[in-house]
This record gives sequence, C-alpha cells and structure tokens, in this order.
Amino acid sequence: MKPLDPRLLRRARSARRYVLLTAGLGALTAVLVIAQALLLAAALAPVVLRTADWPQVARTVAWLALVMMAKAGVTGLQERFAHRSATRAVAELREQVLEHAVALGPRWVATHPVATLATRGLEAMDPYFVRYLPQLLLAVTVTPAALVVVLGLDWIAGLTVALTLPLVPLFMALIGRLTQGYADRRLAAMERLGHQVLDLLAGLPTLRALGRERGPERRVAALGDEHRVATMGTLRIAFLSGMVLELLTTLSVALVAVGIGYRLVWGDVDLQTALAVLVLAPEVYLPLRQVGAHFHASADGVAAAEQAFAVLEEALPARGTRPAPDLTTTTLRLAGVDVVAPDRAVLAPAGLDLVLAPGAVLALAGPNGSGKSTAVAVLLGVLRPDAGQVLLEPVDEAALDLAEIDPASYWSQIAWVPQRPLIEPGTLRAAVLQGREVDDAELAVAAGLTGLDEVVAARREGWDGLVGQGGSGLSLGQRQRLALTRALLAPAQLVVLDEPTAHLDADGEAVVLATVDRLRNAGRTVLLVAHRPSLLRVADTVVHVAAAPTAERDAPRDCSGGAGAATLPSRGSRAAS
Amino acid sequence: MSVQTDRPGPLRRAGGLRSDPLWRALLLLDVDRRRVGLAVLAGSAGLGSAVALAGISAWMIARASQMPSVVVLSIAAVGVRFFGISRGLLRYVERLVSHDVALRGMATLRVRLYEQLAERPPARLLAVRRGDLLARVGADVDAVGDVIVRGLLPMAVAAVLGVGSAVAVGLFLPAAGLALAGCLLLAGVGAPWLSVRAARTVEHRSAVARADLSAISQSMLDGAGELTVSGRLEGARAELRRAQAELADATDAGARSASVAAALHPFSTGLAVLSSLVLGIPATTTGHLAAVELAVIVLLPLAAFEASALLPNAAIAVLRSREAARRIMDLLDVPTPPPATSTSPGAASARPDVDAPPLEAHGLSCGWPGRRPALTGIDLTLATGRSVAVVGPSGLGKTTLLLTLAGLLPARAGTVLVAGRPVDQVSRAGVAAAVTMTAEDAHIFDTTVLENLRVARGDVSAAEADQVLGAVGLQGWLAGLPDGLQTVLGTDAARVSGGERRRLLVARALLSPAPVLLLDEPTEHVDAEGTALLRGLLDGSLAPGKAVVVVTHRLAGLEAADEVILLGEEGTVRARGRHTQLLAGNDDAGAGTVNAYRSAWTAEQQERP
Repeated sequence: MKPLDPRLLRRARSARRYVLLTAGLGALTAVLVIAQALLLAAALAPVVLRTADWPQVARTVAWLALVMMAKAGVTGLQERFAHRSATRAVAELREQVLEHAVALGPRWVATHPVATLATRGLEAMDPYFVRYLPQLLLAVTVTPAALVVVLGLDWIAGLTVALTLPLVPLFMALIGRLTQGYADRRLAAMERLGHQVLDLLAGLPTLRALGRERGPERRVAALGDEHRVATMGTLRIAFLSGMVLELLTTLSVALVAVGIGYRLVWGDVDLQTALAVLVLAPEVYLPLRQVGAHFHASADGVAAAEQAFAVLEEALPARGTRPAPDLTTTTLRLAGVDVVAPDRAVLAPAGLDLVLAPGAVLALAGPNGSGKSTAVAVLLGVLRPDAGQVLLEPVDEAALDLAEIDPASYWSQIAWVPQRPLIEPGTLRAAVLQGREVDDAELAVAAGLTGLDEVVAARREGWDGLVGQGGSGLSLGQRQRLALTRALLAPAQLVVLDEPTAHLDADGEAVVLATVDRLRNAGRTVLLVAHRPSLLRVADTVVHVAAAPTAERDAPRDCSGGAGAATLPSRGSRAAS
Repeated sequence: MSVQTDRPGPLRRAGGLRSDPLWRALLLLDVDRRRVGLAVLAGSAGLGSAVALAGISAWMIARASQMPSVVVLSIAAVGVRFFGISRGLLRYVERLVSHDVALRGMATLRVRLYEQLAERPPARLLAVRRGDLLARVGADVDAVGDVIVRGLLPMAVAAVLGVGSAVAVGLFLPAAGLALAGCLLLAGVGAPWLSVRAARTVEHRSAVARADLSAISQSMLDGAGELTVSGRLEGARAELRRAQAELADATDAGARSASVAAALHPFSTGLAVLSSLVLGIPATTTGHLAAVELAVIVLLPLAAFEASALLPNAAIAVLRSREAARRIMDLLDVPTPPPATSTSPGAASARPDVDAPPLEAHGLSCGWPGRRPALTGIDLTLATGRSVAVVGPSGLGKTTLLLTLAGLLPARAGTVLVAGRPVDQVSRAGVAAAVTMTAEDAHIFDTTVLENLRVARGDVSAAEADQVLGAVGLQGWLAGLPDGLQTVLGTDAARVSGGERRRLLVARALLSPAPVLLLDEPTEHVDAEGTALLRGLLDGSLAPGKAVVVVTHRLAGLEAADEVILLGEEGTVRARGRHTQLLAGNDDAGAGTVNAYRSAWTAEQQERP
C-alpha cells in the first residue's frame, strides 16, 4: 500500500473525513510552530542583548504562552479524533469485507482466512491511523512551511536545510534497497528457528508420553541462541536506516547552528533571526523522523488494509437476472455436476445427476467427504459447479440454467436447514418466525411436531426466552429442533434438510420423520442429506453421492474424512437408484 | 518511578513486587545486568546528546552575538558537531544492546518454561489446549521480553535524562531547574498514567463488544450460505453495526484520557520554556544570571522532553507485558505433587518383578481432575504379548483410560500396576520405560522422517526405519518423498495426510523400547487397509512380544485381539471377551446384556458400500 492509498479514501468515508481534518490540523500546527519560534526569538534576543527587560518583552511572552497552549490543544484534538476515526474507518472496512465475503459464497469463505482479517487483522490499522498518518500529513505541512520561513529568515541556513532534507528519503531508500534481500533471508531464518522452538514445545505432551521429555531443552536453548544471532543480524541492518535518519537530521541541525554562529560573529545576521532559525531547524526534520519511527508499527495495519482491498477486489460471480419459475411446478435437475474439493485432488461430488420433481422427497446418501453438502450448495446456487449444470425445468416452459436466474427470486421459495443452523440472538419466537406473521396456533402445531414446544415449556419466559450469540443457551439438538420449526413455518416450496438427525437421539429422529411426512403431505418438495437407514426409508428416491480423484493427482492430500472414513467407497463407483 | 514508593503504583500491587507476575517473569529472563547498564548508558548518552546539542548551540549563538574571538566559538562549534554525530551512533548502540538483552532473556525464558513444563504433572500440560500453549510460549514470551526494550529501558533513560537536564538547568538558575523538573514529572508520570487509564478503560469497556464482534463476524462467515439463501443478511448486518457502534463508544470513552495524555507533552514542554523565560529574564536583569545562560535555560527544555514522549507507550507496554507474564505464570503455578517414593529412574524397570504382568489395572476409575470420573470399575491384566482392544461410543473417556494407564493422569480410584508396582510409586522415567502411549493428536515434529521416528528411541537406524515404515504400509509414501527418510515433514506435517500421519505414529510407537504400547485410534483416517494394520497390531505380527492396548471406535479387525472390552454409555464395562464371543452374545461379563456389540457390528457392516 502507498503511504496514503487512494483505495482507503475511496472505501472508508471516515478515513476521508479524518485525512481532511488531520491535514487542517497539520496546517494549523505549522502556523503555531512558526509563530512559536519567532515569538521565542523575539522574547529572548533583546534580553540577551541587554536592550530590553521583562516589561518590554512581557507581551511577547504572553503571546508565546498562548501559542504554546494552542499547540497543546491541537495535539489533544488530533489524538481525540484519531482514535474515533480509526475505529470508524476499521468498522467500515470490516463491514464491507464481511459483506463481500458472504456474497462470494461459503466455499470461498471456507478457503480464505477472512475471519482473522475481519477481526484481529483490521484492528492492526489503529497505529496507522493514530500515529503514522498524522505524522505523514505533518511532513507535508510543517516541514515545507518551516523550511520556507527559514529560507526567508536566512537563506544560507535555509539552503543548508533544503539541501540536506532530500538526503533523508534518499539515504533511507538506498539503505532499504541494499538491505532488503539480506533482511528477507534473515527474516526467513528467524521465523524458521522461532517456529522450531514452538514445535518442540507443542510436542512436549508427545515427548512425555514416550518418556523422552528430557534432552530437548538443550535444543530449545540452542535454537534460542541461533534465533538471537539471526535476529541480531537482521536488526544490525534494520537499525541502520534509523541511525542514518538520526545522524542526518541532527548533524544538519548542528551544521546550521555552527554556520549561523560564525556569521553572527561576522555580523551577517542578527541574534533574533539566528535564534528563530535555531528553534525552527529541528522542526523541519521532526515530522520526517516521526514518519520513520512509526513506519514499522503501522506495517501490520497497512498489510491488513492490503488484504482487505484484495478481498474487496475479488470479483463476485455474475448473478442471473431472470425471475425464477414457480417451484411448485418446476423440476430441478443436476446434470453431471463435478466440484473440485479445496486442497484435495478429489471431485466431491463427481458426475452427480439427480432429478427433483415438485412434491418429491429425495435423499442424498454417501460416505463422509463424498460431497453431499456440496451438492446441496450447488443446487441452492451458492456454489457454482466446476462442471455440469443445474437446470430448472418448468412444467410447460423451456428449461433454464440456474446461473441465469435472479437468486433472490429462487431463494425466496426455499427453506434450508444446514448442518449447523445459524440462530441469531434474541427471543425464541423471533428466531423461529424471522419477522414473519404466524398465528399462535400454527406456531404451536409446528413446535409440537419438532419437539421445540418442550424447549419452550422448560423456559420461564416461554417463547420470549432469550437465545444468546451463536445460539448459546440451546444444545445442538435444540438448535436443530428450532431450525426444523423454522423450516416448517417458512412459506417455501423446497425444503432442504442437511443431516437433520445428526445431533438428535432416537426420539429426535422420530421428530424428523414426522416433519418430513408433514412436509410431504403439504405437497412440498424435500431434499434430505441422510445417513441413517430410517431416514433414507422415508425418501421416494435415494441418490448416492460419490467422490472421485481428479485426473491429475499431484498435491498432497488431506483425507480429513471424519468418523467412518474407513468405509470410503472404492473410488469412482457410483450407484444411483 | 513508583517502584520505590509505597503507594500502590503500576508496578506494585497488593501482593507486593515479589508476587507480581511481571517481576517473576523478569527474574526468569535472567538478564545480564552489565548489558542492561550499557543499554541505559548508551540510551541516556544518545538522547543526552540531543539535549547537549540544544544547550551548547544556544550558548554558542548567544555568545556569538557578543562578538567574541572566533577561537572561543570554535570550541563550542566542535561540541555542537560532536553531539550532532554522537546522538545517532549512541542510539544505534542502545538499540542493538537492548534487543540483544531482550532476545537472550526470551531464549532463557523459553528454556525455563520448557524445563518447568517437562517437570510438572503431565495432567496440567494436557489440560492446556495446544493453541493456548503455543500462544503463551510464542507471543507471551515475546511480550515479556519486549518489556525491556519498550518499557523498562525508556523509563530508565527518561529518568536519567530528566534528572540530568533539571540539574544542568538548575546549575544556572536553581528555580528554573526545579520548574523543569516539575514539568518533566508532569510529562513523564502524568501522561503515562493517563495513557494507561485510557488503555484500561478501552480494554475493559470494549471486551464485550469485541467478543460480540468476533462472534457476529464468525457466524456471518460460517452461515454465509444460509444468510443469503434465507434472506436474513440484513438482520446480521444490523447486528454487526450495533456491535461496531458499541466498540466505537468504548474507544471514545478512552479517547478523552488519551487526548489529554497526548496534549500533556507539548503542554509541559511549553510550560518549561515559559517558566525559564519568566524566571530567567528578571534574573538576567538583576545580574543573577548571565545573558548567555538565559538562552541556554530557555532553549534546552525544548530538547529535554524527547525521552518522556516515549513513556506513555512504555507504560502501556508494561501493562500488556504484565498480562502476558500472568498467563505464563498461570501455566507454571500448579502445585507440584509429592514426588514418587522411588526417585531413581531405573528402579522400576531395572529389576522388575519378573512374574508380574507388565501392566495391570484393578477397579480403575479415570477422569480429568476436578470432573466426574468418566469410566469406573475397569479391570485389566496385560500379560506380555497380549493385546486388548477397547471399543465404545466416542466421547466416553477411552482416551482418558489410556492416559491413566500410561501414568499421565492420576487414577481417580483403583490401582494401576506397572510390572507389579503401583504406578504412582514409580518415577516418571520408570513408567515411560515400561509403558508408552501414542495419543490421537500426537505431534509430528518439524524435522526429518527419521528424526520423527527417533523421538521414540534415539538410536533408530535407517534400515530399522525403512523396515518399520514398510510394516505399517508406508513404503509407497516413503518412496514418493523427495529425500526419503531425510525429508523434512514441515509445519505440523502438512506433507502428510490424515491416514499417513496415523501410520507414521504407529511406526513411531512400534520403535519404542517399552514393553507395553498404548495406542489411541491408530487407524482412524486410515483407509480400507487400515483394518489390516489394526489386525497386525493386535495379532502380534507387527509388535512381537509387546503388550498392546488399542482404543478404537470401529470393530473391523478386532477378531485379532486377545480381548475386546466394550464400554457402555454409562462409563462401565458392558461386555468383554473375544470378538467371536461378543458377537455370539456370550461374553465374559455375564449374560443378559443386550447385544450392543452385535448391533454395532451390523451397523458398521451396513455402512460399507
């Protein structure tokens, strides 16, 4: 990211306002810094020259006091708004990142570390906003303004400053370039050593279980030593730029002081001018020094902003525009659907075909990792298949590809209970109804069917009982019942239940069977992902989903199949009934 | 600083300095005092150069206005140039020395932490989640080391420099020196105090908002599909906005203190300059102060506040480091159990009771300390070469049983005998020499395949390694590795799939010299041939002469076990006997039990394609 990335200003409104305010305060600071130097010199010079005493300079000192206090006030004001604006700008970016990530779909979210970015990552932008940015803006306000005044006061001193000033960024860039490759190599070594120490500690329980815990402490010590040597190697180089920065700026000030001192003796300048130059010269360099000092602290934040922009610039899948046909008279068809599993050279599902007629109950079966939930995501249109098609076939019209359809008009006809249904905090009633108007009798019937009524009855507040963030206060089984009730009450033709019995006991299984029956009798279309034979039996059709290796098997695979992975089907075999 | 005062300050709490976690952690760093002294010296001299530069150049210019001979000025000019150069160089030295001290300290702390964790009761370590452990040892150790560079050193430098500047000004005009000292205190104590207060307020008030924000972000991302399909995205967005607004309010609550703290720096600098003017000008008039010296006492304070400008951040660094130190100390602060009566490592293994079976358990109850025992009434006799499979629903405590048998968790009731001796009377080394356990999540180290096997026994040869990897079915995998046995497995074994990882762990267990092997789910994630591997472990062909206990939740391959123990939901032995007996329903635990084993077996068979 550039020091001040235009994308940041474009994306975050608060950042825009903050930069304007900070620039304004920077200009004001420049005026105050200059006034302070001139007033200080004006108060001091006549007294040193013994041409004036307290009564003559009292007014000047009073003005100086006013300017100095104003400067303190401006600093306080800047800090006050810096924190506020940083929080707001981060909030704006976070909201955009989350919204964009959600729009990119569950598969994208699962394969990108966007959660860390949205929480801790973006928080790291605080130092950038609060420390770095104000100094950057002071460097473009105070530095040139003070330089112009010094030039006006004494052009030789001004020239000295003007000539050394460009050396600061020049040397910094030069050293940066010379040391970059070296520092990167060292940094890699440093991280590797640091990681190895952690690796030994992480393995301590394993070492203990094997009775081999004594000994590696010597390795920990040796690694710590190597780590120190490697780090110091990097730091010796990294601190060079800081040293050059300090050396250049202090030496320049010293040269200005010495030069003006001699010319004072020769009578080329007067004391008041000399004092003003002496006070102003360091102020020219100060913002540059501060920018250098805060540069590293803000690096994490800058990197996080960079990542956020990368997320925001990720193109959204094109959305169709045609309204979806009425699902009560439309058959859904998957034809030859392949989805490449993330990080695995596996297609899950592979070559899946299914036909879901209106009012039918269809179950997807297959071992873990075969792509049942992925097939559901494809059917729902939240995931595009890598091969194959999702077709909507209205009874008396031509078939449509799901990709051409406006998803909102399709989704409004669907109720989906995923494996871990999301339950927003609030009352039980709100969680079930989701803002819909349903009369109490209907609610009671649905809750009775799913067993949610028992959960409600166990609460003193009944339907007004509260559910916490992430559904806390409800067991997994209770959440499942709530989500089932929600699906029963939703005015949706297609109901998708992903492993509805996963967190339920035998009792709960009966609930699901009853729910499915109820949905069938109401003429709704049901798609089930099921394991248990009892559930498979209620389906009109069972489609077996299977995974298959992709043609090229190069990447190392992570067979995170979960329980029952030992019964992975022989690859490629697929049976549809 | 407040360390010396009796007032409860940031470094002093009710328990006193000795029980302060940061102090205790600092003691563990075992820093070299001479190096710290050198760092403070270089730092003070570096920033002192800037102060001296301001003072001498003020003197030089004021003196120059009196038109002295150039010789007088040239001495001052040399001083100005010298301090112009020394500042940068000395600061460079300070940074290098202080980072070196900190890094040495961190390395020492890591070793201490490792040693102490290795000595503590294993249960403690097992109870800490891996991620937590890594965070504590990684980030927290760094934070404690950081306090030297970011916290204590700037404080020491500011103290030295503050006293130096005030004394220097005081030599010219005592009243001005006192005023400068007062202003430095205001900037050096007041501003850090306010900053710490602001940081505390924000952290305290934003904790809930932050947690909410994480939870909402996470559920938006986890439920991305559901939210879009069900059209509930707007609601989630509103929730997110509410939590963000709360976080903004919390930040605002601290911003006032923070802004006063920030303003204090230019305020106290200005105040010091003004006091010098107000006190110095009349003193010049009355002749108590030379005219040239007035310039020095007015302009020197402009440079004297640079060190105290770093103190607010230093104070916050101390605050953060103390939190980190507290977490580290929590890890170490567990009562050490009474030492085993026999402390000599070889006592149990050198002269075992030859007649006693290598491992026995009688009436054993096991569970995590502080919780209800998960399993009760377990009896087990493991003769040499015998194999036992423990099966039952997941989450029942089968892992806990293995940990207890391995002596890594204390038995809640009953006894575990290792070669005839109670396990709690044998030293840890003695138990480990007799019984080793391979946990489900056992660690694959970031080193070569061979070194990973040598974790079990230091002298494993390449030929042995080849042979054992072949025996567990990894010959194909090994052949595919770029450097064979010397291939580095990388960060947490990313090169290894779930199934290969399990096989590697089995291979490592097989190389262990202990006569009893305890294996937790060794064939989970292992494909169809996993049954063969399990059979090999149980029928003695893979580990001839060793006693083996395998915990599994799948039944295929158990016909090779000498005994199968089926645990029931209520945490007791439901049935035991050979596989065929259990299938037939006539188990050793007594008739009458519903044949859960057979139904589990039938269910498992049905899952097969």
